[in-house]
Amino acid sequence: MTPSLALRRVSVRGLRNLARVDIEPVPRLNVIAGDNGHGKTSLLEAIYLVSTTRSFRAERAGEVVQTGQDLATIIATVQDGLVVREQRAIVGPRVKSYLVDGKRPDRLVTFATLTPVVVFHPGDLSLVTGPASLRRTLLDRVALFHEPTSGDHRQRFLRALRERQDILERKGSSAAELSVYEELMAREGALLAAARERAAERLTEALTPAFTRMAARELELGVSYRPGGTTDSDQFGAALFSHRAADLRRHTATFGPQRDELELSIDGRPARTQASQGQQRVLTLALKVAELATVRAARGAEPILLLDDVSSELDPARTGAVYEFLRETSGQVFVTTTRPDLLVTPGATIADRADWHLRDGALVP
Amino acid sequence: MRLLARLPGVGEKTAMRFALHLITDAALARELGASLVELPARIGPCERCGNLAELSADGQVRCSICRDTRRDPTLLCVVAKIQDLLAIERSGAMRGRYFVLGKLLSPLDGIGPEELPLRSLVAIIRSEAVTEAIIATPPSVDGEATALYIARELSGLGVRTTRIASGIPHGGDLEFADQITLGRALEGRRRIGE
Repeated sequence: MTPSLALRRVSVRGLRNLARVDIEPVPRLNVIAGDNGHGKTSLLEAIYLVSTTRSFRAERAGEVVQTGQDLATIIATVQDGLVVREQRAIVGPRVKSYLVDGKRPDRLVTFATLTPVVVFHPGDLSLVTGPASLRRTLLDRVALFHEPTSGDHRQRFLRALRERQDILERKGSSAAELSVYEELMAREGALLAAARERAAERLTEALTPAFTRMAARELELGVSYRPGGTTDSDQFGAALFSHRAADLRRHTATFGPQRDELELSIDGRPARTQASQGQQRVLTLALKVAELATVRAARGAEPILLLDDVSSELDPARTGAVYEFLRETSGQVFVTTTRPDLLVTPGATIADRADWHLRDGALVP
Repeated sequence: MRLLARLPGVGEKTAMRFALHLITDAALARELGASLVELPARIGPCERCGNLAELSADGQVRCSICRDTRRDPTLLCVVAKIQDLLAIERSGAMRGRYFVLGKLLSPLDGIGPEELPLRSLVAIIRSEAVTEAIIATPPSVDGEATALYIARELSGLGVRTTRIASGIPHGGDLEFADQITLGRALEGRRRIGE
């Protein structure tokens, strides 16, 4: 079956070590091979950037520009059902331009949710064990596809938070304008918390069955959203007022969704600290599968899946992850690997799979 | 060229283009120069509202809107900048007068409430029988914060403080409205018949 959403053509210019790369991917499985440092991940990064306006490994999109170049340009031709569109990202240290069929979208979020992409990269391996910010980002991605306004609430909340903290530190806890910024934080923060709560519910609904399917034996998974703030804006405002002294002392806002946590437990024990490595690995995969499922539900189309460096001869379990994902999605997949020969795809015909080889940032036959 | 580059929206390259053009077109350069010399003597900020005003011979500096006696004196629209005033004027929907703040609260840029011209605003409301102050600052975080702050400052003056609505552009179908605007419009919904 041909997926309804797929990249038909991708052109990359001046992104990291990719001077000039053009590929015409197949609708199903695309294997990008090459030694480390030759541009495999950069190609996935380019696809992610032209779909989401963000990079999954750089803080700012502008950082991806090749040394000696002013701009990186990525052009993707996207087949979306019966419609074909061209998405273009032009980024540099001082430029960020995103176009759909040559036109600027109303808002960045319109662009960023047009072509749903889910990425699984080595950094995600700490999704269960790493800092709470990783799990908040996961919730925000799920929320963004279901409720695009959530991204706006988040941005406005964080802006008001920075301004309030700045006033606190410069003028102290009795500055007249503090209460205005707290009112804004309360309004936006309560809406953000509500959106995250709903995102957590959606994620949990998809996560539980995925985990049960993938875990070796019967384990009880617990998922709960522990808000750092509240969904009640009046309570939120009151809490901010009473936290002023503490926030000044600690140089950071201690109440609000910037402290949200998605708590995960296995058999009643916190997965972050007490689960085995094997269990943490399965849970991480299940989280990504759940992200895939929630984005699919929101968009009504199978998201494009990017799997970075998931197969390795030293770690057969990571190669196994590729098969887990291929079972979970009927959409277009891009996989990077140093060993394409290890990636045997049973049942895949030639037309279902295309192999690309990168050396020194260029395609080689 | 250095001077031209100090204008907003003009970078080094544009300044260079302007300068080279002015060198080749001497008549334009002279005309522009003469107008620029006259400019500060003829046009300045209205001393009441901050709008652009032509300076009159008797030294009184009031803009055409503040001098217009057909304007409703009880309605006062507070805007961030002159461009916003001009945009609202073009709508033709504002029958009252204006007050231009000139800036918005922005703590991270070092702009606090003491930088806002609130004393003049309060003086106008007190002396001119204003009954409604419409706060038309932009819907950004700083615009909202400024609106909330002003509303609070005006609360003891017996004046009704209102905020412009934000929502769907007219003449457009709902299906084409961008998601954020539509989302905000839903959150800011109001009861029919109120």
